[in-house]
Amino acid sequence: MAVAQRGTASNYLQRAPSPSGLAEVLDVILDKGLVIDAYVRVSVIGIEVLTIDARIVIASVDTYLRFAEAVNRLDLAQTETAGIEELRGGGKKQETKGAIEGAKDALTPGSKDKQKSR
Amino acid sequence: MSANEIPSPQPVYLYGVVRAGGTLAFDEAGVGGRPLELVEHDGVAAVVSDFPADDDFRVRRSDLHAHLRSVERIFEQATVAPCPFGTVIGSREQVEWDFLGPRRDELQTLLERLEGHVQMNVKAEYDEQTVLADLVADDPEIGRLRERTKALGTAAYYENIRLGELIASRLAARREAAAAEIEAVLAAAAAAAVSEPAGAGGLLVFKGSFLVAREALAEFDRALEALAAGRAPQLRFEATGPLPPIAFATLEPEAAAWA
Repeated sequence: MAVAQRGTASNYLQRAPSPSGLAEVLDVILDKGLVIDAYVRVSVIGIEVLTIDARIVIASVDTYLRFAEAVNRLDLAQTETAGIEELRGGGKKQETKGAIEGAKDALTPGSKDKQKSR
Repeated sequence: MSANEIPSPQPVYLYGVVRAGGTLAFDEAGVGGRPLELVEHDGVAAVVSDFPADDDFRVRRSDLHAHLRSVERIFEQATVAPCPFGTVIGSREQVEWDFLGPRRDELQTLLERLEGHVQMNVKAEYDEQTVLADLVADDPEIGRLRERTKALGTAAYYENIRLGELIASRLAARREAAAAEIEAVLAAAAAAAVSEPAGAGGLLVFKGSFLVAREALAEFDRALEALAAGRAPQLRFEATGPLPPIAFATLEPEAAAWA
């Protein structure tokens, strides 16, 4: 389809036909869609734990400290030029995703103990 | 025959609702590795698989992917109103008589509305380095605080928090206008739009889903491309799709407003 196949070359617009990472998949399939009356639905422990954990919010203080650190790292002379790119390596996005993926890993098979303790 | 010979009902996992009467190829296993099948009732049909009834069943990462892949496979072949991950009903009989039967007309209407449409998910985030450099240059207070925290390093714990807080609040002020613009531009090229509130502290500016008619996809794409190009380098956009219309498969009455 046109949208999926158009180039993904620009760095200001990334396109993907379907979500690939776990965080992206969760984003698409949790809490959205046809909701069926509660009295017909069955509760499933594993699934409910998962939907709760999917809403992990990174504490604001951490966010603030990260901003401060990032802004302290900035070399203003450099940011006026294309040098920005090299600062981008350990950016916020990867860290956040890492945290969410980590939380999900705890829910994958064999984590019964963790689920019970919640 | 005594009562205890009656087998306990088999719970089923639901992927979504389609029109009855079509033929769908279910060539991949669904959640828990179980095969997909149709439960039909009076013109509508639910796509289901047996849900493992044993108490030890735990959701696996592969189940999340299996759910989405199954919904995508249905979507390739038919108009579908997808269910959220984790929808389980007690038995096939209940699917028929407690869900498809009572909701038949609403489901038909929903399927008519979704027919020929796809979902495009769009996310926009500030490019951290670009937007921070801009804020530092733009705001004397941030500039001053930054000089102090730079000099003190990690010893300046509270100054660092204050600096970060200030940046977050300046970002929030910019974010609101940017998000409204993004939604307005893309909604103009879509049949319907839903957006999620961006968190207060992050770089996320906009996250939303758009219901787009297949024949309008190229137009939507052009609008997105122009929007993203115009907002670079401060913003970076991500577009995912065409997806099944998961975010628009709602029976709530307010959904009728977009007809």
